Amino acid sequence: MEQPQAPSWVLLVYKIPREPTSSRAAVWRKLKRLGALLLHDAVWVLPATAWTREQFQWLAVEIGELGGEAYLWESSLLLNGQAEALQQQFQARVDAAYQEILGELEQNEADLVALSRRYQQVRAQDYFHSALGLHVRERLMRARGGLTS
Amino acid sequence: MKWVTWEQVGVDRMACAWLITKYLDSEAEFLFVPAGQKPLPKEAEPFDLPGVRLSHHRGHCTFYTMLREYDLHDPVLERIARVVDEADTVQEVTLESAAPGLDVLCRGLRLISPDDRVALERGRLIYEALYAVLASETEIP
Repeated sequence: MEQPQAPSWVLLVYKIPREPTSSRAAVWRKLKRLGALLLHDAVWVLPATAWTREQFQWLAVEIGELGGEAYLWESSLLLNGQAEALQQQFQARVDAAYQEILGELEQNEADLVALSRRYQQVRAQDYFHSALGLHVRERLMRARGGLTS
Repeated sequence: MKWVTWEQVGVDRMACAWLITKYLDSEAEFLFVPAGQKPLPKEAEPFDLPGVRLSHHRGHCTFYTMLREYDLHDPVLERIARVVDEADTVQEVTLESAAPGLDVLCRGLRLISPDDRVALERGRLIYEALYAVLASETEIP
């Protein structure tokens, strides 16, 4: 995954008809799946990379097709420290998900198939390359047995 | 005929270009513009750009749209469309194990290619290979 070069962010604001609820839910689930953060119940944000830009563009088009309206920006934060704070929010969420996997790995008869799948999903949202991710990966490899390197 | 898309081609655009050259227009000439640039060249058919006919629709990739738009009915192509869907768009349910690898390979292919035109040409080999494997799997749902 590409590291965002300057701390630049893509922001999505959208409105979608209340009905059918399935469309609303589908958009919401995609945003969760992308690992976007919802700031103040108003703006969805992701670190800007070629990939996140493109995914948000497609999503904005899809929202339009579902009868909604979406605005998409790319911007940077102007106050000192806010970019770092935002990055930490992303990181904290990913780390919590990694911790959960580690916790389950401790259990006897952990479901390695399900956990490795969850690891891959979390990793897809790990935009800032958490060190914990590497740790989870090593633990999964060790749990699997055989060679670890 | 001329076809236009954004620079820095990836998994979906490589798939589309392969489909275009193989099934629709053997003389296809591809043009590339920087992402977001407008207006697009008039004489060229745009593909895989937000808001055009040949684009993502209802959460499906452009390759999937092209099969619909050009009435191509081939179970192997349908299967490739599912792979590209999973590789290129955010899907909740994933069934195609080839998808994440295909995405990575196509991105890598662009990295080692001098320009987008060469990347599309090289990408054709990947899709020929994918087609061959999927066609050889007897049970295509």
